[in-house]
Amino acid sequence: MSADALLLDVRGASKAFGSTTVLAGVDLGVHRGEFVSLLGPSGCGKTTLLRIVAGLLGADGGTVRLDGADITGVPTHKRGVGVVFQSYALFPHLSVADNVAFGLRAQRRPADGIKATVARFLDLVHLGALADRPVRGLSGGQQQRVAVARALAVAPKLLLLDEPFSALDRKLRETMQIDLRHILREVGITTVLVTHDQEEALVMSDRIAVMSKGAIEQLDTPEGIYTRPRTPFALGFVGHSIRIAGKAGQTTDGVLTVDTALGPLRAKGSYLPGSPVLLAVRPERVVVGAPPPDVPSNAVTAALTDIVFQGSKVHLHFAAADVTLLVETNRIPPGLSPGATASLSWGLADTMLFPGETA
Amino acid sequence: MKAGRPAFDPVLLLAAPALAYMAVVFALPVLVLILRSFGTPTGPSITAYVSFLSDGFNWRVIGNTLRIAALTSLLCLALGYPTAVALARSKGAVQALLLVAIILPLSVGVIVKAFAWQIVLRRDGVVAAFMVMTGIWDQPQLLLFTESGLVIGAANVFLPFMILPIYSVLKLVDPNLQDAAATLGAPPLYRFFKLALPMAMPGIISGTAIVFSLAASMYVIPTLLIGDRFQTLATLTARAFLLMRNEQLGSTTATVLLVLAVSIVMLSSWAVKAKGDSR
Repeated sequence: MSADALLLDVRGASKAFGSTTVLAGVDLGVHRGEFVSLLGPSGCGKTTLLRIVAGLLGADGGTVRLDGADITGVPTHKRGVGVVFQSYALFPHLSVADNVAFGLRAQRRPADGIKATVARFLDLVHLGALADRPVRGLSGGQQQRVAVARALAVAPKLLLLDEPFSALDRKLRETMQIDLRHILREVGITTVLVTHDQEEALVMSDRIAVMSKGAIEQLDTPEGIYTRPRTPFALGFVGHSIRIAGKAGQTTDGVLTVDTALGPLRAKGSYLPGSPVLLAVRPERVVVGAPPPDVPSNAVTAALTDIVFQGSKVHLHFAAADVTLLVETNRIPPGLSPGATASLSWGLADTMLFPGETA
Repeated sequence: MKAGRPAFDPVLLLAAPALAYMAVVFALPVLVLILRSFGTPTGPSITAYVSFLSDGFNWRVIGNTLRIAALTSLLCLALGYPTAVALARSKGAVQALLLVAIILPLSVGVIVKAFAWQIVLRRDGVVAAFMVMTGIWDQPQLLLFTESGLVIGAANVFLPFMILPIYSVLKLVDPNLQDAAATLGAPPLYRFFKLALPMAMPGIISGTAIVFSLAASMYVIPTLLIGDRFQTLATLTARAFLLMRNEQLGSTTATVLLVLAVSIVMLSSWAVKAKGDSR
């Protein structure tokens, strides 16, 4: 896609609180109609970035462009950026319908239009029946839907969601995530979600920006982040992984041999011989047993320490030479019990290679 | 437990000692006072009230009382509301410092303050000097023994009673509400009138009720700052009892003051409740 299709274009956004750098020159481009998540642990700068985009916080440097216009210095109420806050921030003195109408009235829209718009957005979030109720008595899920309807009613160009599911219990969270995704698709609004929950990001996003220490480590599709993490942080933050540290050896035909505590292993790539590297593989790519002879693979021998049955899947915990190896299968392999030794193997193509930490 | 009639909660008994104490030292004497205002040698009658209310001087006294109380409340509100907002927004050491600055003056007795103001409000006092320096006044004026001086002094004493109720309401308000309104396209003035003010209103109403009733019944401050020629219901009551030895007049003025103060408090608590119900 061309750069013209960017609805939100953040360039070099930086922010420091005192001597602590919270954002270190972040670029973020979001396409029209896209759903992008900012995913990272607390303190990674994701909420700061969201507040800068909404104009609730001034950046120390950088520019924010929305729909082609530079809005860096524009006050929040003139930006056209909607926000669903973590606390929902519903107006406690107003009814459900009056909450949704607040922005429309503040912008002095015609009264008859307001009524119709409020009704339409309350129907969209399935709260039409509760229009006249005070917001105080609503459940968490209902409050969230009021917050969504209120933000959408003023037809913002961009919608920001700040950890909108963190106040809900797990079961409700899952249904609300799917519901909200449907609603936002129906409206067709460009959305940026801030979350620390990788599952939430995977479920909802077209693309995910993995953030750490005030920078975006990787911006990619959920599948891209999972299968091709660009940094050890992205690898570790999304999904489980087996990580084996080692030293780079020789490279032959684009395949590097790595000396590890589990013996020599191979990965596609090239490093200076002797430099520290990190090998990784996703648990579901590992098979218990000898590798198929015709596929280039890695194989190690490890002892089974634990079997964790999780319903649709089984986690097998192996250990070898201080390395923990997690293997995910869909059933407990027959004849395998804790204490037994087994051969584990995975394809060369599934082996990820990262620069290691220099000790 | 059965649904319907709620069981008596024994914790409510904790209020019993204070209730008993207030009954003996407050409710009983007030009742005696009220009864005395109706008492004549020939039996109960309202002659005291009729003669009190038929005297134009007494209407001026009532007017003085209500005007001073209203102006004091207004000055306290103008100074107190922004302070309460700042207090609710502040955190940690700054908030602690502000709270101390607001509460500490309460520990200085009114009489000490009143004599201190006499220094400030003199013709050559700090306030007069400031007003001349800024060009608001052509020449120094005496603030002492004027209504303005009285209001300035009274507001000084009662300011904490305006700030604290507003602050206690504001600190419970989600600080994201203002941000949420801004993201909905509401300009600053709209956010103030449609959000900030309605949110603070229960605190503003109870603060005003407290300051108004305190200012309507103050005695020491007007006595020291303005003197005998300016009478309020409270000073008149004291004169009736202490100087004129006219117990019936004193009881009557005291009852009028009581009725006025209680109706103000009840009206405002009704307003708070109406406000709360509409939420």
